[in-house]
Formats: sequence, structure tokens, C-alpha cells
Amino acid sequence: MRRLIQMPPQVLRIFLLAVGIVVAYSIARYFLTPPSFGEFGWYRGAALAELATRDRVYAGKLACEECHSDEYQKLVKHEHKSLACESCHGPGEAHSKDPRKDNIEKSSFATCLRCHEANPSRPKWHKQIVTKNHYPGSKCTECHVPHSPSEVP
Amino acid sequence: MNKAVSRRSLLGKVGAAVAGLLAAPAAKAAKAVVQKVLVSADAPKDYDPTRHKWVMAIDANRCIGCGFCAEACKKENHVPEGPYFRTWVERYIITKPKPDSGAARGETLVDCPNGGMHGYPEAPVPKEEIQHSFFVPKLCNLCHHSPCVQVCPVGATFDAPDGAVLIDPKYCIGCGFCIQACPYGCRFLSPVTRTAEKCTLCYHRITRGLKPACVEVCPAQARIFGDLKHPLPEDPIQQFYQKNLVVALKPHLGTEPRVFYAGIDKEVR
Repeated sequence: MRRLIQMPPQVLRIFLLAVGIVVAYSIARYFLTPPSFGEFGWYRGAALAELATRDRVYAGKLACEECHSDEYQKLVKHEHKSLACESCHGPGEAHSKDPRKDNIEKSSFATCLRCHEANPSRPKWHKQIVTKNHYPGSKCTECHVPHSPSEVP
Repeated sequence: MNKAVSRRSLLGKVGAAVAGLLAAPAAKAAKAVVQKVLVSADAPKDYDPTRHKWVMAIDANRCIGCGFCAEACKKENHVPEGPYFRTWVERYIITKPKPDSGAARGETLVDCPNGGMHGYPEAPVPKEEIQHSFFVPKLCNLCHHSPCVQVCPVGATFDAPDGAVLIDPKYCIGCGFCIQACPYGCRFLSPVTRTAEKCTLCYHRITRGLKPACVEVCPAQARIFGDLKHPLPEDPIQQFYQKNLVVALKPHLGTEPRVFYAGIDKEVR
């Protein structure tokens, strides 16, 4: 001990400074490391659960089925079975919690054409029309039922 | 040697030991207070991230370019207005070569108006001049060796055990290193939160047993989502791997993406 203290003062000062830095770092690290850090890796494990607690905007097909099972059954039996309700009707979480007519979209002419207007980039298996040649001036729903496209109204 | 222990030194040692014993719980209590100020997590406990491995696959043969996915992503995740997308749809048009040019193919035109989220307008070149054209949905490629994770200086972005590459919004300092590092352009700096943002595979949905919003609304099953650790009977993701020859984007970078694409051209990066 006495030996250590007898080291040249300039060396002693650097030594004490180094010890001080290490101690300060250790204290800061002890207090500031989040509790879940290192749970899964080099990050805050609690972030996973925090990201999972966000509220959803799209309810999912099954939430729609609870009330609209008749339309749902029609949908899954026809060509549009791969569509979700919310593909055309927009996000439905608000509507599923508080079912009103004004918090869900009513799909329109434009919704149909977003998929079915002819475009050379769309794959060939997909049914497409050129609007100006395909009964111009009439609505899609005059001849097609969106929930069961192969039926005739 | 019989060394006499002085009263002073003994009292000093006992005092230090008592102080040490008292200091440990005091430090723990102080630590709890500090951490409560720094982080507050009230999180559900019924989801175990180590028991899942989520993955998405893209079948470009099925994509019809409606852009419902990009729109749903924007709404579901409250992505800021403007040119910010967590997922988007690109249109590739490869024109026919000029006659007598000796080339196999013409130009490659790529466009993505508004992320494709309002659908696609007519092609910029006449139909007769197009050799091939197709849509490619893009999202985080869920790299096995993620460059974005490697460059994050604060450990705010990470490869979660369940396969999602996530950002801890409380620890992100918005330095933008990850945005530069991502070779797929899948990240952006949010003008609202001033932190980096990216596709989370709709982490708040998949942890509750729902599909990501883009997969939910895709009318053509171009996006396939599944859990590699819990394959379903007739699992769509396993069927996708069985039916298709798949490619990853930019394989030469060694990022080893987990998102595989089927039906895309060599021009897709």
C-alpha cells in the first residue's frame, strides 16, 4: 500500500482518474441498464411486449363473420373467397367495436376497377375489363354481385 | 504472529460491513426508482417470442397491383402521410428490344406512384412495346444477418427471436445509420416521431394470432405469411416453398433474407 502511494504523483493521478472513470461507469451502468436488457439479446426485451400492445385498426375476417355470417358464407363460396372483408370495406376495428353505418366504408365503382381495370402488368389469370368497352356508363353492380360474382342479380 | 487488533480498526471494519449491507438494498431501491422514470412497461405475458418464427413470402405471379396492402399498412401502422412506406408495390416493365439492336430485351422501367397505395395507372408505354411486366410487393426482407442491426449504435434495432426485425422506439435516437445500411430501402425516418421506422410484420397483430394487415387484405394471396415453428395443416407458407422456385433479393450481399420471392425477374433488386 505504502509502495503504491509512493509512486510518482503524476502516475498516481492518472491511476486515480482511471479508477474514478471505471467506478462512475459502473454506477451509471448499474442504474441505467433497463431491467429487461439482455433477456433475448443485446437489446431491451420489454420492447417486444411494448410493440405488441399497440391497438389494431384492421379487425380481421373472423371479427366480421361474428355479425355478418350470411355475407361471409356467400363470400367464401365464390370467386372472391380470397378477399378479406376489409380489402374493399376498409379498416373495421372501430366498426366491430361500435357497429354503425358511418364508420365503415361502402365500396364503390373505383374499388372494383382497382383490381379489374385492364393493365398489361397484371397477371394473365386475373379477370380484367377495359371500362370504355365493357358496358360504358353502367355500374358494376347492375350485372355483378360483389360477394358472389358468379351469381346474376 | 500475534497481531493485536486495535479497537479503532475493528470498529472501522464492522462499520464498513454494516454500511455495505445497508447500501445494497438502498442501491436496489434507487435503481428501481431511476428505471421507473426511464421505462414503464405494462405488457401482456401470454406470448412467448422464442416459440415462433414468423416469415413472409411473396408470390409475384399472384400480385395484381391493387395496392391494398400498401394502403392497409399505412392505416394499420399510422405511417406518416407522404413518401413513407413500410411496404409498397413496384411495377416493372421490360420493353421489347429495338429491331436489329441485337439485344435480348429492351429497357427496364420501374415505377411506384405513391407506393402503389392508390392502385396503378396505365402503363407509361403502349402495350405492344412491352415484353414483360409485373408487380413486386416489397417489405422488410427479415435478414438473417441484418446490416441495420449491426450498425445501430444504441441497440435500438434488433432481430427478435420470433423472426421480426424490430425497432425499440424508446431507445432509437434517430441517427439514421440503419436507414443507410438497409440495402432494400425498407426503413425511413419518421417526421412525426423522429425515430427510424420499418415493417414490424404487424407485431401487434401477429402476437394476437392475426395476420399482418397487408396479408389480411391481399385479394390475390400474393403475400403468404406463416410460422415456421408451428406449421399449420396445409400450411400456405410450406406449400409456397414446395410449389415455387424461390429467390432472395440481393443475395450477393450476404444478408440472407428470410423473405423469399417467386416469379420475379433478374431486374428486381
